[in-house]
Amino acid sequence: MERKKARGPKTGKRRTTLTLPSESLAAAARIAAARKVNLSTAIAEIIDEGLRAKAAAARGGQVLESYRRAFSGFTDEETMLLDGIVLDERADR
Amino acid sequence: MVEPAFGPFLFDTSAESWLVRSTDPAVQRWFARYLSLHPVHVSAITVMERMRGYAMLVSRSAGERRAQIESARLAYMDGPGKVWPIDAAAALIAAELAALLPHPPTPPKHAHQIRESHQERLVGWRFDILIAATALVAALPLVHNNPGDFEAIRAAIETSPERFPNAGPLNLIRTLRLAA
Repeated sequence: MERKKARGPKTGKRRTTLTLPSESLAAAARIAAARKVNLSTAIAEIIDEGLRAKAAAARGGQVLESYRRAFSGFTDEETMLLDGIVLDERADR
Repeated sequence: MVEPAFGPFLFDTSAESWLVRSTDPAVQRWFARYLSLHPVHVSAITVMERMRGYAMLVSRSAGERRAQIESARLAYMDGPGKVWPIDAAAALIAAELAALLPHPPTPPKHAHQIRESHQERLVGWRFDILIAATALVAALPLVHNNPGDFEAIRAAIETSPERFPNAGPLNLIRTLRLAA
């Protein structure tokens, strides 16, 4: 007897029930209609974009914090040195 | 104002630190927004200039101060998201620029009673040329804080385009324009 073909890889999708603001749902439905995709696909993409933007903002915050630590606590002359400007000669020479 | 979404941009050495140190809320908002959209692109030359500065400060300090500078040096390496190498294309453009513009267009920088030696000024000028060449190869606008030098480079490329085949115009953005 032929065995049933194994199912393909899991798509990683789960069914759930959400309560959303009516206006948001209507806006998502308009986006879905404009893009000719179903409402689930449109909402999944909107959530994905939002999550990526949040992750990028968090990464940006970490980078900014590193930069602040890199440049804090230096005098103007020391900062010039960090910018590649080496003041190494008396101006009256 | 330059919309951060128009990036990514390549940042000159002093422009990168200027953005971090600025106390202007508009500049701070601009940089935070930029970082939420793009990595900071710099030339390997910027990393070299910066690291030389940290190394010189470390060699002049001791004890707790030395540890603070070492910590700042390590923190810097988490900043730039993309470091562009000096490859053959950048080297060719920089060579043409160095031949066209052998001397720095602006005098040595100074603060209080000390200034750059002519030797240091020439080194800095050649680094600026390499950074501009990197921006051209990367096809990224160059954000800078040094119009005297970079405008001279841009003008040289515009007046001798035959010496820079396949290299677009050098697009310059002054730091002061970013959030204004």
